[in-house]
Amino acid sequence: MPPTCRPGTAAVAALVIGIAIALALRGVAQTQLPGGPTDGDAPLLGARLRVWYRALLSPLENLLVEWNVHADALTYSQLVVSVLAGVAFWKGWIFLAGWLTILAGTLDVLDGGVARQGGTSGPRGALVDSLADRYAEFATFFGLGAFFRDSWVLGAVALACFGSFMVSYTRARAEGLGLGMKVGSVQRPERYVILGFGGWLDGLVSHLTCSFLDRSAHVVLTAAVVVLAALSTWTAWQRARHAARNLGEAAG
Amino acid sequence: MNEADRTWRPLGFLLLMIGFGLRLDTAYQGLAWLFLLAGSVTAGAGLFLLAQRRRENAFVPPPGKG
Repeated sequence: MPPTCRPGTAAVAALVIGIAIALALRGVAQTQLPGGPTDGDAPLLGARLRVWYRALLSPLENLLVEWNVHADALTYSQLVVSVLAGVAFWKGWIFLAGWLTILAGTLDVLDGGVARQGGTSGPRGALVDSLADRYAEFATFFGLGAFFRDSWVLGAVALACFGSFMVSYTRARAEGLGLGMKVGSVQRPERYVILGFGGWLDGLVSHLTCSFLDRSAHVVLTAAVVVLAALSTWTAWQRARHAARNLGEAAG
Repeated sequence: MNEADRTWRPLGFLLLMIGFGLRLDTAYQGLAWLFLLAGSVTAGAGLFLLAQRRRENAFVPPPGKG
């Protein structure tokens, strides 16, 4: 269990995060979008937010390419950070685990960008990236499951893990059958955001309210896991339905 | 255009969050302070560079007015 209740530190952290979110919202609002309609099967994180985040990371991406950092190094770093996030969840370091999850997601975005910009992208890199992503996701979910081992939330963690794997598997299988697959409300970036934000927000809330509320409740993290389980399952079903319909039309 | 601030600010923010995480949740308080210090310096440098860039840009005349 965490050593002490630290509402003061949590308040300072909340202030820093608040300033960062205000600056981020300003940046998102100013982001210019390439045109294009969105439908009900579009990802939860809108195109504007994705474009803004990529723009935020582009100077770092340029720097990494300039330093000749190979995309594989970033892929393996993402795996290591995900394992650390899993360990942090397991140990009950929820605020830290949340940010490590977001860092892992950021490295996941960076490795693809660096590979494309550095001219090292190819089938081998794509395979290594996909495999590392699955291991990374499992490591984080394993830690989360260990944290909730004595609770009903363990079932939701298992469902979220299975749902996440099914989302990726459905896409891989459909693409193997020659079908493009971009639909789905909760893809990998959304999963990182739901789990990461759920983690750090839960840590923050539990420290801010520790002088008058039970810290072991973890209501925010529980809600995030339940939402993730439901949305991952829904996304896997969305993709399966989309693939079956299109393959049926192609056959007919 | 020098956009070094766009690298330092997110990096500083990340270091600060890891520092806060270590301080809030773990017994590694020395490490936590190290991250908090590094994060403050990095984010501070980023904000300083941002302010400098905005000051420089403020004197650039708009297209067609120079």
